[in-house]
Parts: sequence; structure tokens; C-alpha cells
Amino acid sequence: MPTILSAEHVTRTFSIGRGPSVVAVQDFSLQVEEGEFVCLLGASGCGKTTMLNLFAGFIQPTQGRVLLRGEPITRIEPRCGVVFQSYALFPWKTVQGNVEFGLRMQRVPAAERRRRAARFIELVKLQGFERHYPVELSGGMQQRVTLARILAADPEVLLMDEPFAALDAMTRQEMQEELLRIQEQNRKTVVFITHSIDEALILADRIVVMSARPGRVQAILHNTLPRPRHVSIQLSPDYAALKSEIWNLVESKQR
Amino acid sequence: MTGLRSAISASLLIRIASVCCFVLAWHVATTNGAISSIFLPSPAQVAAQAMELVSSGELWKSILVSSERVFAGYALAALVAVPLGVVMAVWWPAKAIVDPFVSLLRPLPSITWIPLTILWLGIGDQQKVAIVFLGSWIYMLVYTLAAVQRVDPVLVRAARNLGARDFAVMWQVILPAALPGIIAGLKITLAISWSCVLSAELVAAQSGLGALIWQGKDWGNLPLVLVGMVAISITVLIADAIADRIERLLLPWERHRRS
Repeated sequence: MPTILSAEHVTRTFSIGRGPSVVAVQDFSLQVEEGEFVCLLGASGCGKTTMLNLFAGFIQPTQGRVLLRGEPITRIEPRCGVVFQSYALFPWKTVQGNVEFGLRMQRVPAAERRRRAARFIELVKLQGFERHYPVELSGGMQQRVTLARILAADPEVLLMDEPFAALDAMTRQEMQEELLRIQEQNRKTVVFITHSIDEALILADRIVVMSARPGRVQAILHNTLPRPRHVSIQLSPDYAALKSEIWNLVESKQR
Repeated sequence: MTGLRSAISASLLIRIASVCCFVLAWHVATTNGAISSIFLPSPAQVAAQAMELVSSGELWKSILVSSERVFAGYALAALVAVPLGVVMAVWWPAKAIVDPFVSLLRPLPSITWIPLTILWLGIGDQQKVAIVFLGSWIYMLVYTLAAVQRVDPVLVRAARNLGARDFAVMWQVILPAALPGIIAGLKITLAISWSCVLSAELVAAQSGLGALIWQGKDWGNLPLVLVGMVAISITVLIADAIADRIERLLLPWERHRRS
């Protein structure tokens, strides 16, 4: 599989007030292959959100390069669609209006827009809620709308920033299952940020373990758990073995 | 649900009873001689005066004249202030140009403009509209500016990430996101606009609710003064109710939050 998204020796510093500048990410290199599901795993402050913002083009690297299909990302990049932790739905638009937004921006004709929106609303199981406003939906449903909105816009890469972190444990599991199902159907390239070892093991093909202050790549692991996967994979012995491996990695860095 | 409904109707009953008790106390105090009718007319006198003004059509005429002045000045102020506020929020040089004038003009009550506007425009409708405009536009501007500045930047990021360019970001994200705040500001300003027109009419006017009150004072007709005051209250209340309706129509997504 060819590389679609890559970071080459990326360093990003921030200056906060008059104090010394903070190194959020240091010498970060990663190649994401087409159709691959990569999890960036780390504690808060490890620079994983900074990396996602770099991939999305929200910010630029201080050193190094971020490339999409070999070309530097220099501005907000619609080919890298972001699923925000805070949903970022447009409150004045209905579910339908939110899902159609990206298509409207791409000047897709109205009939085609409706057809595609309907398909993705069905994919995330929100039929019947098309005319609801986001404020009328639960957190889990709002995150489904976000997912449908970005999938309808059909970006080449999905960037997901702890999308399920604000959900309760049961809804989170349900959403992980949904994402596995959708991913197996669409085979999108996904970069997924999480601080949960379990979430990374359930979802990812490859897990990038990051260490904090400054954020660096500590290890990259291939997740050998078989696909198609189900959340019940957490009960298998292989899963436990991988989990303890990652656990030890994270622990060793903590000490 | 039934508990809520009975709580609402209980509250309504208490409101009505509260007003009735007040009117009754007023009636007793003014008819048993505790308060001389030179200082305060009785409710019956006020009601009689109101009936007279209603049947002669004079009350409606006054309400209409004042309402038209408010509407013209208010609409003009909104047309200037809302776009200007939006531009100031998204383009800093505009803010730097206008800010000093806002700072200097904001502390001036609208009545301080009365001498100049009479000199420029006379004491007719134009001058009243000008007073409403001058007393309203800064508030609209300040509220609009704040509403646009408060728009969540993550929404703008999300829109750009979905392929929106500057024009779409402005019209499809920033403006709708700021709309609830802009409308809230416009609603607050509505009452201010009304006080502007009344103060202008009290100082110099031949028509309108303010002029009606001043007429009552000049003729020693206290019931007329009170009818004018009550008419103002009710008119502004109705204007507010209409504004609420318009707000609900324009912001369907906010309905859920309020109910």
C-alpha cells in the first residue's frame, strides 16, 4: 500500500505569554499507508492533538514537513477531514443540514446531496432524526452526526481527535463498534487519537505510542488482532498479551 | 407535567391578584381622601379619560405616531450598526477606526442630542427619528460586535475543514452563529429606542405619546398623564412580545433550549 500521509521529523513549539517556548512535538516521523487505521496513543500533554492539528493544516510545523500524497500541507486541508472531540456541529442546522454542509461546499447538486446525506445518515443509524437540531440529540447521537457529516464530504483521510472521550462507557463501546463496521465497509485511512489502550487495540492496525514533554514517538506496534473485529476481542488472550506489552511500554516511560 | 402546569396557573393567579390588590389600594386611597386627587387621580378617573381618548381615536393616533418614529429610527440604526459591528469584529482596522467614537458617544444619553437635532431638523418626525437613531445604534453595535467575537472558533475550523471558503464561512457560519446574540442585543435596544422617542416627545413635539403626557401636565389633566404612561407600558410590552415572536421564527434551533 502506498503512503498517503506522512510526517517527516516534525517539531512544533508554542510560545505561551513571555515564558520560554514549549516543545509540544519533537522530531516526530510517521508514514500512514492508504486504508490504514493508525492510533496515536498517549497521556494528555504528549502532543497527539498537536500532531492532528498539523495533519489537518490548522497549524504549521516549526521544523520538518507534513505531507499529503507527497505534497506539503500548508493550509486547512479539506482532504483530511476532522472529527472533533467537541463535535463542532452547526447548531442552527438540522442533522440533514449538517451532513450536507461539506457537499454544499463542494457544490454538489441538491438532489445528489440529499441522496448522499441520506446514505450516511442511514450508515450512522440516525434515520428519522433528519429534521432534528443537534441540541435535541444525545452526545452519542451528535457524534454520529459528526461522523456522517465528515464521511459524506468524502475526505481521503479521517482525523479523529478523541471522538468518543466525552461519551459514557456504554455509548463509547457502541460507537467503537459502529466505527469498526463503517471502517470495514469504507476502508478509509484513519488517524485516531486516544489515551485509552483498549480503544487503540480495538480499532487500530498500528499503534503509535507517544511519550510526553516533549511529545515523541516512543514505539510503533503492529496490532496483530484479526479483522473483522468486534469489541468482544477484548476477552481474547492475544488481546491481553498486547495490552500488557503496551502497558509496560507506557509504565517504563513513567518511571 | 401536571405539577408544572398547576404551578404556572398558580403563578398567573397570583400575578392577577397582585395587580388587583394594587388597583384596589389605589382606589381606596384616592377616594377616601387619604391622597388628594390633585396629586393622584383615582383609577376610575383614569379609566374614564382612557375611554374618552379611545373613542375619539386620539389614543390610537398617538400610539401610531410614536410607534412609527421608533420603528424608523430603530430600523435605520439596525441597518447601520449590525453590518458595522460585524465588519468591526472580523476586520481589526475597522474596529480601530470606529472604537474611539463609540467610547466618546456611548456615555451621552440620547436627550443630550435634543438641542442639536432640533436646530438641524426642527421638532417634527425627522428629529424624533434622529433621536431614536442616535440613542440606539451604539447599543446595537456593541452587542453585535460581542456576538460575532464570541463565535466558537472551532465552528470556523470545522467549516473550513469541510471545504468552506471565506464567503461561505462568513454567511454560513459566523453570521448564523452570531445571530442569537445579535437578536438579543436588538431586543434589549428596543426598550431603549422607546425611551428615546418619549423623551424627545416630552421636550418638544406636537404629537405622540410623550406629547400627550406633556399636554396633560400643561392642562392640569392628571388622568391624561396617567393614561399616557399606561399606554406606553402596554405598547412597549406588545412590541416586546412581537420581537419575541420574530426571534422564535428566526432562531428555530434555540426553541428547544428555551422550553
